[in-house]
Amino acid sequence: MSQDPLLQADRLSRRFGAFTAVDDVSFTVGPGEVVGLLGANGAGKTTVIRMLLGLLAPTAGRALLLGQVPDLDVRRRLGYVPQSMGLYQDLSVEQNLEFSAGSYDAPVAVLKPPLLELRDRLVGDLSLGLQRQLAFVVALQHRPEVLVLDEPTSGVGPLSRAGLWDTIRGEAEHGTGVLVTTHYMSEAAECDRLLLMFAGRLIAAGSEADLIGDTTAVAVSTQDWAAAFKVLGDAGEPVTLVGRGVRVADRDARQVARLLSDAGVPATCDQVPATIEERMASLASGSGA
Amino acid sequence: MRAMIVKEFRELRRDRRTLGMLIGMPILLLLVFGYAANFSVSDIPTAIVGPAAQQVADQVQAANSPFDVTEVLPQDDKDSATTLLVDNEVSVAIVTGVQPPEALIDGASLFSAQTAVSAIHASGLDVQIDVLFNPDLTTAWVMVPAIIGLILTFIGTVITSIGLVRERESGTLEQLAVMPIRPSSVILGKIVPYFILAALDMTAVTLLGMWLFGVPFNGNPLVFALGSALFLFVVLGLGVFISTISSTVGQAIQTAFFFLLPQILLSGMIFPLDAIPWGVRWISYLLPLTYFVEISQGVMLRGTPIDHLWIPMVVLAGMAVLVFAGAVARFRRDLGPSKHQIRKAAEAVAT
Repeated sequence: MSQDPLLQADRLSRRFGAFTAVDDVSFTVGPGEVVGLLGANGAGKTTVIRMLLGLLAPTAGRALLLGQVPDLDVRRRLGYVPQSMGLYQDLSVEQNLEFSAGSYDAPVAVLKPPLLELRDRLVGDLSLGLQRQLAFVVALQHRPEVLVLDEPTSGVGPLSRAGLWDTIRGEAEHGTGVLVTTHYMSEAAECDRLLLMFAGRLIAAGSEADLIGDTTAVAVSTQDWAAAFKVLGDAGEPVTLVGRGVRVADRDARQVARLLSDAGVPATCDQVPATIEERMASLASGSGA
Repeated sequence: MRAMIVKEFRELRRDRRTLGMLIGMPILLLLVFGYAANFSVSDIPTAIVGPAAQQVADQVQAANSPFDVTEVLPQDDKDSATTLLVDNEVSVAIVTGVQPPEALIDGASLFSAQTAVSAIHASGLDVQIDVLFNPDLTTAWVMVPAIIGLILTFIGTVITSIGLVRERESGTLEQLAVMPIRPSSVILGKIVPYFILAALDMTAVTLLGMWLFGVPFNGNPLVFALGSALFLFVVLGLGVFISTISSTVGQAIQTAFFFLLPQILLSGMIFPLDAIPWGVRWISYLLPLTYFVEISQGVMLRGTPIDHLWIPMVVLAGMAVLVFAGAVARFRRDLGPSKHQIRKAAEAVAT
């Protein structure tokens, strides 16, 4: 990757009382890389980010931003969009930009439509998608070398989500290192590298293809998906519904077919590559928690 | 409905602040109104000057009067008696050696003055009454300087803490912590607007009070400004402190109310300090508003010079340093960990 990581977690741990939120997590983010930090809510993603930004002291380990312990000066070179977006709802779009630009001594960003027409509107009156767009503009205004995004697409429609990912990819192409958390597994494909967190631990790392590897699932095609779902569920199989398609993670197609034919549910079963969600679920159950 | 009632009690039990308000407030009000709410002062600090001072002092003390003779000064005259009143050493000064004897009464201590006037009238003695500083014993003259303090307290604690808690509630505090702004600049930047607002508000109320109620301004405006600035630092510090112990605007208002109510009741702005028994009065001396009221009434009504207001000034300055420094240190912790904590964590892994 790169010999000079922009972000580095070095055996990071954080405990809150008896609860271990982050347990011995190490990884790096290099220039031009989009690294996705994946995990369910409460897996420890936000805590890792807060330590990397210097907002929270680790209980053990080091969090380095551009090779340094995060401080005032080094954070100048960082762009951060918190989950809450960090925008002033009672200020206009333009005033939010001015405040951030003034704090970083950066020129005020030139807005593009649709935000351009809305520059005098209060942020609180904008849709969540537009607010997220603005949060990006605010975070990128001072041309950061590292971008940290905590759930940047949460609560946003598919179209805006695609737009936000275009922005993220565009920044990475200019050499910015991006660390992005999400619990939408479908966004994993947008990342160069993935870090899977479960219960505070990093349980897997690599590209989506690396992570899925040769794990498979069974795709069940049937007219009567409800019956198939019930039969497999009752049999204790890890069955999921994707639309009206029934899938069983980490199982053999023949075994599933037999279960269904015994129950008298007509269906065809195919062995297919697992999705990242299915891999995640099996990794999590395999990690013994 | 039963489930609702049970749920409500369970929630209340967790909400310590509301619980404190439900239990603490009635007790506070009961104690204050039971003990402190006394408009008639029974011990009016009194000086007696002039050749017959000792003789009159004996008479006053023998008669069951509300006057508490604290100074007997046979060598002194009316001028030095007036100075004692200006400096708020006593509330009444009786000048002997003139016919009839004169009673100088501090009209700025409204209730002491009213009690003194009626006691003298009741005694039937031939005494010339001269009410200084507030000749008509107008309530507004006494209240306006105190209300100024109340307004400063309100802006300093309630408005400032709301402003800070709102940043926390909306998540912008986290963004601020990441921006290249020093914690001290964050706090100062947050406080300066309120300081300016409070100063403008104070000026407006002072001028309005003078214009509407004819409240005099007998002292030095600079002394008044100094006292106000010191007081403002104390209450702004309280505001910052309240914000560090509140996570929502509702909590902040509730907590600020806890600081506000005792000040209104016990600072001497409503019930005269001299009428509050010592069991409660010590609380008064912990409250910053008590000292501000002393300064503002002193400067505006009595025209007290700074060399006789240094005690409240020093107390306020001390409170300002303590409260402000403590609050800022607490607030700083919310903006990020110390270098020391980070170093310790790095060492924890190395070993």
